[in-house]
Amino acid sequence: MTNFKQIEENLKWEAARLLEAGSVSVVLAYTKGMDEKHPQPFAAKSAADAANIVFNEYCNHNLARYIMRYTPGTKIAVAVKAADSRAVVVLIQEEKIKREDLVLLGIPAAGMKNQKTDEIIDDKTTGGLANPVICDILLGEEIHTGKKASPYDVLAQYEQMDKEARWEFWKQQFAKCIRCYACRKACPLCYCDPCFIDQTKPRWAVKSPQEHGNLMYHLTRFQHLAGRCIDCGECTRACPVDIPLYLFHKKVAKDCEEMFQQAAGMNIEDKPVMVDFKVEDSDKILE
Amino acid sequence: MLKKTTIEKINEVAAALIQKGTLIAPVKEDAGANFREIKDPREIYLDYYNTVLSPKNVFLPQMEDFIKYKLTKSPSEAQQLELNLKPAFLFGVRPCDIKSFEIMDIHFNAAGIIDPYWKARRENTTIIGYAFDLDSPPDQADFYNTLFIGAADPEGSDIFMVKRGNELLLKGITKKGETLLEQLSMMPEGDDKDEKYFADYVQRGKEKRTRFMPLDDEAVTQKYEDIFENNDYWTKVSDACLSCGICTFVCPTCYCFDICDENLFSNGTRRRIWDACMFTDFTLEASGHNPRTKVSQRLRQKVCHKYSFHVRKYNVISCVGCGRCTRSCPVNIDIYSMVEAAMKVQS
Amino acid sequence: MDFEPKILGIACNWCTYTGADLAGTTRLKYPQNLRVVRVMCSSRINPSFIFRAFQLGADGVLVGGCHPGDCHYNTGNLYARRRLAVTKKILEFSGLEPSRFRVEWISASEGNKFAQVVEEFTAHIKSLGPQTKFKIQE
Repeated sequence: MTNFKQIEENLKWEAARLLEAGSVSVVLAYTKGMDEKHPQPFAAKSAADAANIVFNEYCNHNLARYIMRYTPGTKIAVAVKAADSRAVVVLIQEEKIKREDLVLLGIPAAGMKNQKTDEIIDDKTTGGLANPVICDILLGEEIHTGKKASPYDVLAQYEQMDKEARWEFWKQQFAKCIRCYACRKACPLCYCDPCFIDQTKPRWAVKSPQEHGNLMYHLTRFQHLAGRCIDCGECTRACPVDIPLYLFHKKVAKDCEEMFQQAAGMNIEDKPVMVDFKVEDSDKILE
Repeated sequence: MLKKTTIEKINEVAAALIQKGTLIAPVKEDAGANFREIKDPREIYLDYYNTVLSPKNVFLPQMEDFIKYKLTKSPSEAQQLELNLKPAFLFGVRPCDIKSFEIMDIHFNAAGIIDPYWKARRENTTIIGYAFDLDSPPDQADFYNTLFIGAADPEGSDIFMVKRGNELLLKGITKKGETLLEQLSMMPEGDDKDEKYFADYVQRGKEKRTRFMPLDDEAVTQKYEDIFENNDYWTKVSDACLSCGICTFVCPTCYCFDICDENLFSNGTRRRIWDACMFTDFTLEASGHNPRTKVSQRLRQKVCHKYSFHVRKYNVISCVGCGRCTRSCPVNIDIYSMVEAAMKVQS
Repeated sequence: MDFEPKILGIACNWCTYTGADLAGTTRLKYPQNLRVVRVMCSSRINPSFIFRAFQLGADGVLVGGCHPGDCHYNTGNLYARRRLAVTKKILEFSGLEPSRFRVEWISASEGNKFAQVVEEFTAHIKSLGPQTKFKIQE
């Protein structure tokens, strides 16, 4: 069982220490919101701020998305769970932040819960990978027990559906979309300014929430996140109309892993698959 | 006039309303309940606390087409689309949302340019309000009591409903409501005991049940004016904010919209769609300059608009405490806590 | 009822387009359903072109580029291969018939191959019928 209280204590202590010493100007962590079940992401900027840090099973937010808000060169400490650490790796790979500007406070966590339903969502976030893939300071015990599920198991029923059924499923899901763009903002890797959907030259999709506009927006996002999505599930949790975006992102991630033998955000030395090629790439992938 | 029915029999009422025109009622969806136009009376879903999206969609649709035109070499007449509304019945709206319609009326149906589409929809719709269930606890995100709204306020509805166990008591509040109630012959009339229960319920609804802070319109307006330039405060408050736009879309009193011309091959439509001041490019100008590039600036705009500028211009806070923004926010930002904290900041 | 599919062809300038030219000058016959757009390199292709093409009514999309290793710009088609492979997977998972989108490597001297591929692809799209899933209904 993950000792959330212990992790919280360690996080507060480390944050205060780093801010006191001036090693970082900001610590990205969590704080109490309306109540324990509704923690908020929090940027602690002083040792006094650090006293307000919390950590519990509802702290699902991927803090990596706030890294891009700070001027390049700012020294930032980030509290990262497994998926969050992968997002940081991708940001480093894409040269959006330098490794030396970061202090990564790794949090191995199991038993994370959805705040609306209280269900355990470990499987929905990077397939039950519990330990951060990169960190400077580990705030809790690494987790090596528990069944090793594949993050892609949940896709089986959708892959087995026949084309028509699958189309009907996605058609119905995308029809729900109200184009609030929460998925885009919740994603740590959607940092483009301007985003393709906001461009007028060319106008890739209509702004109005019609089926065809929604389809274009979502399919293009799936393409843009290919080989970059680290399966944190934030897009799906942010969605106010419950579209299971994580399924599609997972499928693309699975295909990329199979085609190019590389998963997103695992090693900072890797090049993201879409900006790389190997001469040995087979034409079979186009079949 | 007061009539009654049971929750099981509400389908009959629904069926009658569908016969008369368009019925918009709560239906159960993946994310929760939402108001939709229903054709099958059995779709009506009353076992909900409040909807995810507010009912503002009924009067200000998220997408509304105005003009159709053709993109041809030689000029051709654009065609203005007629509204052609059937009588509409908005069923099951909570008191806080009903109050929101009055606030929105200020912008669309009061002075200056009247929005003919809003006006037509408002006049065309009979509102059947539904009191919150006083025997169940309120959602922790709600704070409509702070904005002087009671859990069972009938004002603004044409017909108002309260629950008594398995029964629903419907009372005509306006003449429009009375007329409709008379026509719904499948429901028997209530007696004196029912009238008393209804009146007591409305009274009980005025008791404080949601989060409450004594909020003086002038004080909060002044406070926000005083701390407008307090960058430390606004940066702190907006640190978590994603600037996504969900709060705007679910809010019953947010009304910003964009007019766009959307073309497909040689056909085009000019339409209105919801916009959000939280979007990064909301204030992007044609020159490329954007006065509100930072999240803190946009969040400041949103909160000050609702709790300060709106009061200065229209003497009412543009918020009804429905709690939707708090419930839907992906990072759990809570406007009630924000206002509470703001009032404590030293000017 | 004869269904004449609308097929969008995107051909890279140096190889496929020249190959198509060769097919023309050597009077090879191939179906007229293909509407060709010329790009300088297959890696210029934004996957959104493919999605958009299907939305605007294309029944099939055929992309042609230089053989991997022979790209006029050295590495363009190597990136394109990966990128378009992902596009194909996305189309497949969304429920569209993935065979409506095809990528072929056709060099400047392969006029025959060009004609043959177009012939095959057109016949295949004919057998699949009109594309209705993505197509925007006016």
